[in-house]
This record gives sequence, structure tokens and C-alpha cells, in this order.
Amino acid sequence: MVRLEYIKKEYEKTRQMPGKWYLTSCRYKFNITRFQPFLSALKEKRLIGLKCRSCNTVSFPPKLVCGKCLTRPDQWVSLRETGIVATFTANYMKDETTGEANAFPVIAVRQDGADTTYLTQLNPKVKFEDVYVGMPVKIKWKDNTEGNLNDIDYYDCIDDPTQKMDSLTK
Amino acid sequence: MGDRQVAVVSAGFCEHASKRSDVNMAELVNEAVHNCLNNANCDIDAVDAIVAGNMPAFEGANLPELWMTDWLGARNKPLMRVTTGGSTGGSVAIAGYYNVAAGLPGIETVLTVAFEQQSCGNTSVGLSSVALGEISIVNALGLPAESAMRIFGAGAAIGIASYQAINYMNRSGCTEEDLARVVVQNRRNAAKNWWTHLKMPDYTIEQVMATPYISYPLRFGMVTPASDGACAMLYTTEEKAKDFADIPAYVNGVASVSHETAILGVGGAGAGQLDPCEQVGAVESAKLAYAQAGISFPEKEIDFAEVYSPFPNQELMWLERLGLFEENTAHLRYRDGTTAPNGELPVNCSGGVNSTNAIGASALERVAEAALQIMGKAGNQVPKTVHSAIGHGWGGCINLVTLTVLSDQPRRKWRAH
Ligand SMILES: [Zn+2]
Repeated sequence: MVRLEYIKKEYEKTRQMPGKWYLTSCRYKFNITRFQPFLSALKEKRLIGLKCRSCNTVSFPPKLVCGKCLTRPDQWVSLRETGIVATFTANYMKDETTGEANAFPVIAVRQDGADTTYLTQLNPKVKFEDVYVGMPVKIKWKDNTEGNLNDIDYYDCIDDPTQKMDSLTK
Repeated sequence: MGDRQVAVVSAGFCEHASKRSDVNMAELVNEAVHNCLNNANCDIDAVDAIVAGNMPAFEGANLPELWMTDWLGARNKPLMRVTTGGSTGGSVAIAGYYNVAAGLPGIETVLTVAFEQQSCGNTSVGLSSVALGEISIVNALGLPAESAMRIFGAGAAIGIASYQAINYMNRSGCTEEDLARVVVQNRRNAAKNWWTHLKMPDYTIEQVMATPYISYPLRFGMVTPASDGACAMLYTTEEKAKDFADIPAYVNGVASVSHETAILGVGGAGAGQLDPCEQVGAVESAKLAYAQAGISFPEKEIDFAEVYSPFPNQELMWLERLGLFEENTAHLRYRDGTTAPNGELPVNCSGGVNSTNAIGASALERVAEAALQIMGKAGNQVPKTVHSAIGHGWGGCINLVTLTVLSDQPRRKWRAH
């Protein structure tokens, strides 16, 4: 690691006492019953989002409360399998053999027909350098779907029609 | 808004460092309280009530305001604790303001204190407990714990900032050198301020660019430190203000607005924001606070800004959202020197959160430094006269924005409250 120098002052060391506080032992509640239609649709390799009747916002993954209107959306709508990368970042993982840290993209996908994003992973073969905001992606299902979030294996890149148009104008 | 005009008359700090091993948490806080009272030439008898704030989860010390009452100077006095994540300090400032503005009998002077001794605990555990609710829900919905951790823990401690950086660079055309330039300005400013943590007077853009990525596009040399530190401020009424300071900084507008981003939010509700650097909360808080202060043209009327920016891209983003620069132009203002201490609109002359980050205290330090610039007592005082300044905070569960507008003149009385 590169060392960066800054003006440092040494402070006297005093006695320290150990202590423990289990921050990670919390329990969280989640209404899985109202989420069930979404999970059942995943089993059939379909994507559905929740539409708020008040502001027409479609949330994917479904949000059980609309933050804009403070209502409980109850209208399920079908979504296409394609979407675009709304934002992304890197996850650095060490290669077991070489010991090098490689960047793997983590993407937030806005599914076509939805107004919110879903944080997920991209095809591991896609290089981080090739990802950009607005990149079109398509869902890749697991072969055996079980009706849970793990049925979405990853998202795969597809041809970007806007780039094709750019080359035509040239 | 309350009927009473409120003024900031003093601010105090303790020395910030990565490990203040010479003092415990209570002694650390006491240093800042003493410094604040000394700067106002008064003692604790002048203080009627106290507001304190920190993030207990970050240092693993529960209910600190109870066991450090005496060190806060709160014995036999009304005491209130506020905790709102990264914006804790901003909320403490607002609570201090309202404690005075409310006009409660016998409460005219209020001491606000915000602190964090991160070396006592494990901040990354404290921070990860924020994402843990989300991770446990997606885990219950079938995503294996390993990939859930990988996806929601992406960018590690940087988290949301790297998403903001990627989208900001995409929409504005700002380069990595521009981000490095922001950092260099902050660290050089910090070197001129006595209480800051990362004092780097000779830092250069090349040095920043030579460091490895922590999370693209943010490099090791751009990342905020974890500091131990405390900050204290003294609020009082307009009538009493001149007893403490020659030039008080009047609090003319406060706002605290929450707007949820869509990045985290399977379990929680969310307003469905697609772009993490849209920051509707900042825009709304600016509208509210500027309206209270009677500011119609923030880009012309505000002379100094302290914004909460652990990472350089956030500094650019906040300046735009708070109406100080036109959209997607903030990085150009750093290139032409507008934001330098001798520029037209100096920004973060204290060194900012990028140089010193005692999380709970950070947002209060922004308000304190903005006030000190008006009072002419800042560590890195700008050459021009500062008439109005803003102190901004960001935190909560990455959704809360706090803003305080300060001025050297009381709020105009003809304005409807
Ligand atoms: Zn709605």
C-alpha cells in the first residue's frame, strides 16, 4: 500500500479495556406474504413489479410501501426481461492463484417498465472497464428456478442500439 | 420558525487524530467544551441547556450522554441527545437552534456538543449494521448470504459514494483529475487549520493519482480518514449575543429533509430515485432554509460554504444541489480557483470532511466553521468578509440532509415566520 505522509502528532498511550457489543445480533421482520406473488412469478421465469395506483410508479423489486404517496401498492404489472444499467460500482476480489485484486462490477439495473433499480451482479465474464451507465442488459435465469431471488443468475450484456446508430451516422 | 432570533457566539474543537490514545471519550468531549467556553470568555454557569450527539454504534459505547454528563457540563441542566447517522452534527445544530428559538422560560444559552472517538470501536461494523437489515431480507428471499454480502457490500465503506461518483462523472464530464484537485485543495486547507486530522500542505494531484483504487473511481488518496474528535458550539439569543462575541453569526434558516435513494430498498420504502447523485433532499432542504433566511439568489448571496463531503465527488454534487453552482459545472469552478480560500466562493476552508471525519461531529463542524468565518475567528480565515455562509450535513441512512444558513445580520423582521 502506498504511504501518504501527513503532519502527525503522537499522543501518549493510556490503558485500554476490552469490551464487546454485538451489533450484528439484531432480528429484522419482513412481510413475506405480500411479497409472495413476486417470488411465484420468478419460479415461472416471469418478472413482475408493483405499481402504485396513485403515482403510477412501478417498483422492481416490489416495494410494499410507496415512498412518494405513502400508500400500499397492490397492482402487479409484468416487466420485460431487458433493462439498463442505472449505476454501477466495483467489487474487488483477490484471485486465489495470482493474489491480484480484480474488479468485478456490481450493477443497479432499471428493468424496462420499472421506475426503480435492482442491485445485482453482471455476467462474471464481462470486464469492469466495459460497463457504462445506460448499458442495456438482459436477465439470465438459472436452469432450475425455485421461486426466490437466486433464480436470477445474473444479467448479461446485449447489443446497444444507440451505439449502432452512432456508427451509422459516421 | 420560532419568534426568537438565534445567534451562534462561539465554537470550539479538540485536536483530531486517528487515535487520541491520551484521552477517553469523556475527556475528549471536555476539551472541545472548554475550548468553546474559553472562546466565548464565559464559564459553564452561562449555559442553560445542553444538546449532545454522536453515533454510539460506531464506538461501541452505549448512552454516552448519561455517563459523561459531568464532562459535558450538564449536571443539573436539561440535556438532550440527538442521533441521525452521519448528519448527527447537523441535527444537533438544528436542535440547539430550536432549544433557543422555542423561548422556553430560563433557557437562553444552549451548548451543543457532537463527538466521535472511532478508535474505541469498529466503525465498519457500525456502518455495516446499516446495510444488515437489507442483507438479511434479501437473504431470507433466497439470495445466498455470500452473494448478498458481495452485492450490498460493494465499494466497502465507500458504498454509495462510488455510485454517486460514477453517475456524477457520467452526467458532468468531470475527470478523475478533477476529483483529485478537490482532495488536494481540502488537504492543503486542513494544513492551515489547527484541529484537523490529515494535514498535507504539499499534496499534489500526481500523488493522488498514483494511489490505487479503493473503489472505482475513488482512490486511496481521496478517501476520508476515521478520526477521533469533538466539536462544541454556543447558541444564544440576539439580546445576549453581544455579551459573548463582537460579531455573532445569526442563524437565519435551518432545514432537515429526508429523501430516500433507491439503491438500498427491497425491504424499506423508497421514493424511487434512479440517479444516486440526484439528491432531491438537498434541493428541498436548500429551498426551505434559503426561504427562511430570505435568500433568493444563493449563488450570489452566499459567500462561504462548508459542505459534508467525505469523498470529493460529493463536494461537487452538494454544491450544485444546494444551488451554489449551475448543474454539472462545479468541477470547472475548482479548475478556475473560484472555490479556493481567496476565490469568489470559498468552499471547505477548514479542510472539510475529506480531511477530518469524526463522524458524529463532522456535520456540526461544518456549521461551526461557517459561523467562525462570519465571526472572523476561523483557523483558515478567508481574506474577504463573509456575510452569509452555509453549513451542510448528510447522513441518516444515506437519505437525510441538514442545512443551516448563517449571516452577520439578523433575519429581516418583516418576513412572515
Ligand atoms: Zn405512489
